[in-house]
Amino acid sequence: MEVRDLSESTYVIRLERDGFSFKPGQCVNLGLKGSGINREYSTYSGVDDPYLEFLIKEVKAGTVSPGLRKAEPGSEVELHGPYGSFFIDPEKIKSSQFVFIGTGTGIAPFHSFVLSYPNLDYQIINGIREVSEQHDYQDYDPSRIACCVSRKKWDGFNGRVSDYLKQMEISLDKVYYLCGNQGMIHDTYDILRQAGVSGDKIFTEAFF
Amino acid sequence: MKIAISYPPIVNKDGQKAMVSQNRNVQFFKKPTYLLPVVQGQAATWLKNLGYDVLWDDGNSQLKTFDQWYQDLLNWAPDVVVFESTTPVMKFYWQLINKLKSDRPNCIAIMTGYHSMRKPEETLQMSATDIVLRSNHIDFVLRKLIPYIDEHSNWRDECPIEGLMIRRDEKDFYDSGNFKQIEPLDLSPDVDRDLVQWKNYAYENGNYLQTPGTYATSVVRDCMFGKCTFCRYNGPDLTFSVRSVQKSLDEYQRLVEDYGAREIFDDSGVWYRGQEAREFAKGIIDRGLHKKDCYFGFNTRFGYLDEETVALLAKANFRFVLIGLEASDEETLARLNKGYGVGDAEQNLKIYTKHGLFPHLTIMVGYYWQTQKQLDQTVKTVQNLMFKGLARTLQVTLCTPLDFTPYHQECIDNKVLLAEDYDDFDMSKLIVKTPLPHDAYYAAIRQIYGIAFNPRFVARQLNFLSLQNKSDWQFLFTYGTRAVRRVRQHVFNLTKHEGKPVNT
Repeated sequence: MEVRDLSESTYVIRLERDGFSFKPGQCVNLGLKGSGINREYSTYSGVDDPYLEFLIKEVKAGTVSPGLRKAEPGSEVELHGPYGSFFIDPEKIKSSQFVFIGTGTGIAPFHSFVLSYPNLDYQIINGIREVSEQHDYQDYDPSRIACCVSRKKWDGFNGRVSDYLKQMEISLDKVYYLCGNQGMIHDTYDILRQAGVSGDKIFTEAFF
Repeated sequence: MKIAISYPPIVNKDGQKAMVSQNRNVQFFKKPTYLLPVVQGQAATWLKNLGYDVLWDDGNSQLKTFDQWYQDLLNWAPDVVVFESTTPVMKFYWQLINKLKSDRPNCIAIMTGYHSMRKPEETLQMSATDIVLRSNHIDFVLRKLIPYIDEHSNWRDECPIEGLMIRRDEKDFYDSGNFKQIEPLDLSPDVDRDLVQWKNYAYENGNYLQTPGTYATSVVRDCMFGKCTFCRYNGPDLTFSVRSVQKSLDEYQRLVEDYGAREIFDDSGVWYRGQEAREFAKGIIDRGLHKKDCYFGFNTRFGYLDEETVALLAKANFRFVLIGLEASDEETLARLNKGYGVGDAEQNLKIYTKHGLFPHLTIMVGYYWQTQKQLDQTVKTVQNLMFKGLARTLQVTLCTPLDFTPYHQECIDNKVLLAEDYDDFDMSKLIVKTPLPHDAYYAAIRQIYGIAFNPRFVARQLNFLSLQNKSDWQFLFTYGTRAVRRVRQHVFNLTKHEGKPVNT
């Protein structure tokens, strides 16, 4: 087990795979061994990686995320899962185009999708507060990721993902995956529906 | 327009009444528990606030016979009637709607609920229902749908509102697509307590330690975990929505100060955790509501509440904590996607009871894989927890594959589902093939409920009571009396098929 710090607030925890199987996009419950407390985190690593990774935002007043960050290499964590249906239907991987919209660590399941399915036809719209939160962008095709920075000015798009969506052409044929906080999902859903995207083509994974 | 939100009294051949209960499935009870349907209450309130004439028409809590209820509804002459479906009463509802449409052809019948939302065509084919809501956000959809119907005579052809299946004619159904999974719950109004006649629900409810009690407007709609395979709040089309702490605190203050509620229970699939739970508890304390002789309670999951949060909740006068201990073996917990281990349950319960919360365990038996060893382990663990005083009360149910849950699909895939008749999904008998005779699971239920009458448990409870203040004594006596009655009723309900041959 090891922790890779990405910023003051965010880190990646890597665990031994130990035969664990999952579908990219599913989540697990992680907690410190013996603590009796756990939280859900989406998979971040690819389905064929020899390890498991999770992208975690540290909640300062929280119980689990600060504890996991302090965990020493070689220590054990408790893991339950995998769970959930926020994954891609394998039959649609070759035939569909995907738009992944995520804010903050909501990019995690999309990272897992991209690593797991090399020929995936995707576009990512990632909402972050500042440029320093562009975590592991080298893992994405630069032409397929749009970054929306909401708090600090930069040379790229300034604003929220909802602002970005309003100025882009929204395809009715693509499949949309939304992951992040409730407010973003609510706003984004409305924009997509108003553009005419069927509710059957929108999948969501909300954070608490 | 005149809109009725209706719950007809439904009585089975044993003279028991159908009550919406766990996971919004129907169970039949002789002595009913009246659960306020919160989302429907919000829908009724919202429509009333929009100026519509709304009838809160719960024939059960209003103690009507079916004939009285039906005649009253016809006399009121509604333009729209909204029902809530669940599997064991679907056939009843289809017949009822056909009768209603025959008596009042122009009345629009709308079906909501977790059965029909997953299989809307069926209800349109099997009955004269006009609209099925595919959404669980009944308040948000009705808030848009009713004004649209009111203003558009051609609503069957043109309705742009998502999450509906609308009858255009006998065989032509229009599907407006999946619904919006996340709604801003702060926009939906608090339940109008006068409209729903809240006192009808204030006494007969096992989740109240003291009365009058009431259900709060849920802070989380459905479940923020949403992964347990047997649970309704699980599926690719479902997620959860959250209401703000402050708005909810405002409602609690009104319920305590204006309505005199002495117990407030939040029936969210899983209540707040972490920061929001602490903020809520602090808010209760800051407003002085913890000193108003009112208990607060909620559903939670093992693994969600740390000790700091539990201590704060206890200080804020939270007491009743309803928590699922579905089994006590790792295999079953993993197969159910419970997200915690066997040891986590006891550890969490120790924290709850250390700070004075009253854990109420909900246990299930009769999984299609459950061996004698697993069953014994569950019985032994529950006995151990109860004898140690780590849980105060409990409830056992037979695991019934609620339709369209992953567990239900597993049962179909593994060819272990024994029942096709919807009437059989009323949680009164096992309807899956099991490795043991069904009677073994019924016997386990007797064993678990038998804990309530075990001298060791009674002694533990009395010792616990002796540590409480006078008011707690009073209420726990009342609660205890009702609990014994409930235990007897549950044992009757859950074991009435004991000894009967199983149709395989």
